Amino acid sequence: MRSVLDTFLVARFELMRAMRTWRAVALATLYVIALSGATYIYVRILWFIEAGLAETLGVPANDKPGAMMNELMDNGDLTRMLQEMSGSPEAVEYLLTWPLLSIWGLWIGILLLPFLATSAAAECISIDMSTRALRFEALRTGRAELVLGRFFGQVALTGIAASFGLVGAWVVGMTQMVGNDPIVLAYGLAAMGLRAWLFGLPFIGLGVAWSQWTASPNWARVLSVSFTAGSWILFGLATEFRDSSWGWLSDLVLQVLPQGWLNGLWHPTDWIISGGVYIALSLLAVGLGFIRFSRRDL
Amino acid sequence: MSDPLVFTDVRKQYGRRGVKALDGLSFRVPEGSICGFVGPNGAGKTTAFSVVSGYLRPDSGRLQILGHEGFEPFALKGRLQVLPQDAELGDRHTPRELVTHLAQLGGLSGADSRRAATEALDIVRLTDKRDKRIGTLSHGMRRRVAVASALAGKPDLVLLDEPTAGLDPVQAQALREALAEARGTRTLVISSHNLDELERLCDWVVMVDAGRCVREGTIAEVTGRNSRAEWSLGPGELPLEALRLAVPRHHFEQAGHILHESAGPDGDLDASSLIVARMLAESSVPIREIRRGRSLERTFMEDARGE
Repeated sequence: MRSVLDTFLVARFELMRAMRTWRAVALATLYVIALSGATYIYVRILWFIEAGLAETLGVPANDKPGAMMNELMDNGDLTRMLQEMSGSPEAVEYLLTWPLLSIWGLWIGILLLPFLATSAAAECISIDMSTRALRFEALRTGRAELVLGRFFGQVALTGIAASFGLVGAWVVGMTQMVGNDPIVLAYGLAAMGLRAWLFGLPFIGLGVAWSQWTASPNWARVLSVSFTAGSWILFGLATEFRDSSWGWLSDLVLQVLPQGWLNGLWHPTDWIISGGVYIALSLLAVGLGFIRFSRRDL
Repeated sequence: MSDPLVFTDVRKQYGRRGVKALDGLSFRVPEGSICGFVGPNGAGKTTAFSVVSGYLRPDSGRLQILGHEGFEPFALKGRLQVLPQDAELGDRHTPRELVTHLAQLGGLSGADSRRAATEALDIVRLTDKRDKRIGTLSHGMRRRVAVASALAGKPDLVLLDEPTAGLDPVQAQALREALAEARGTRTLVISSHNLDELERLCDWVVMVDAGRCVREGTIAEVTGRNSRAEWSLGPGELPLEALRLAVPRHHFEQAGHILHESAGPDGDLDASSLIVARMLAESSVPIREIRRGRSLERTFMEDARGE
């Protein structure tokens, strides 16, 4: 029980601290700018598609997109777009039940959140090892509680930053599109944002892992971001060679890569399984870092 | 009543071929004492503190902390507090937030930790700065915040590594007074290069050099406060033979204007001082200064360093 309380105390303090440093501000600002900007670009592309369709159909185009969603669906453009975004033809029917912007928000989140989250998490322990500030807490609790508390603090921080990003996307959706119900859009963004946040967990774990391995915050950040980029490259290679004689290895790699469980995120119920895997992978990463941290001199 | 801190042949080497920071360090600190932990740079003081605090793991040896074998964070929660020498404080919080958090992590409830933080910040005289960001405080004030974190609550054993470093004389004196008030209620171990400060404050001393304990005991034992006296005298004919006859169990030596008096195991410097003072007065030899024992600094230089 005391371990749980200590973990909570460390997490709360870590979150408070992170929110007063450039990390939280940078993380939230970057995510808001990226998600809002990407949403705006997406809305403009949608407008071009709708304008083209309106010309084909011989009807007047609207100033803002969103009025011709049914026509886009019938036309098949929207279906093709969702297929490309999700990489899963089976998921399209389900995804069409959600506001289009929420699907876009999830897609952008999958691309951006890992990099931002891992880069912020990479310094959560290393920076305090370099200044030895960690000693004040390390005296008063176990090292496992210390690491888990910092990890959960980063998890909460990423959740807050992601929420700000979703607000930005919602504002763009409501001001630059027509036909969006505010409640439905907010719910859609939140539901898909939750999945993006879950996808970010293993990368937070990765950042916390490197943060335990090295007392240099810069090294921890470089290693975390490099491994995140490397995981995408590995995912691409594993997907590419899945049907080759090395398919067994590809399957194995995809089991341990967060990206290998991406398809579940576009599914009505499988996202829960993917979420569970992401939680497990994040704790595994933190645990790997702890192998070093538990034995090192502080 | 067991000693709250006992080192027995503790060894710690940095790296396989690195420096032997602790080379069979053995000593004890009695309960309720204020112990001065003395040694030159590189003697192993900070390493010893780090081993007690769990920051470093000893290679071998036995370490007993408040009856526990080695550092156990949950068993020692709130009972052991440490002021690390060179650890920086996070600068985004206020002193009150930080000390409250550390006190709560040390096992106090939310309300108790807030109260303990307020009291500890009052002790180090940071009452008016407790809601300022630590990043805006001076070095000395930050040091006092760190000291407050070590004093918050009711720890049984407190280790302070250079607590007055960076403090101005007024702040240092205030801190010494605060620490002196803790005498008997908790055990304090203070590492400092300021031996005068330790001599005034401490009742027990452990001297270390090259990772080993070279001397330990009460201040009186170590400095010879109960066995030696130095009389600094003015001009006049010193009645040396008469003194030797009057106080036969003591040994008297004259070196210039200094009369060295040493008492054997059954000697009594308090009783002899009356006789010596009377005889000097009768011989019209003025007494300029009387010093009982050697200073801690001189003791360290002579006994520990062989200088």
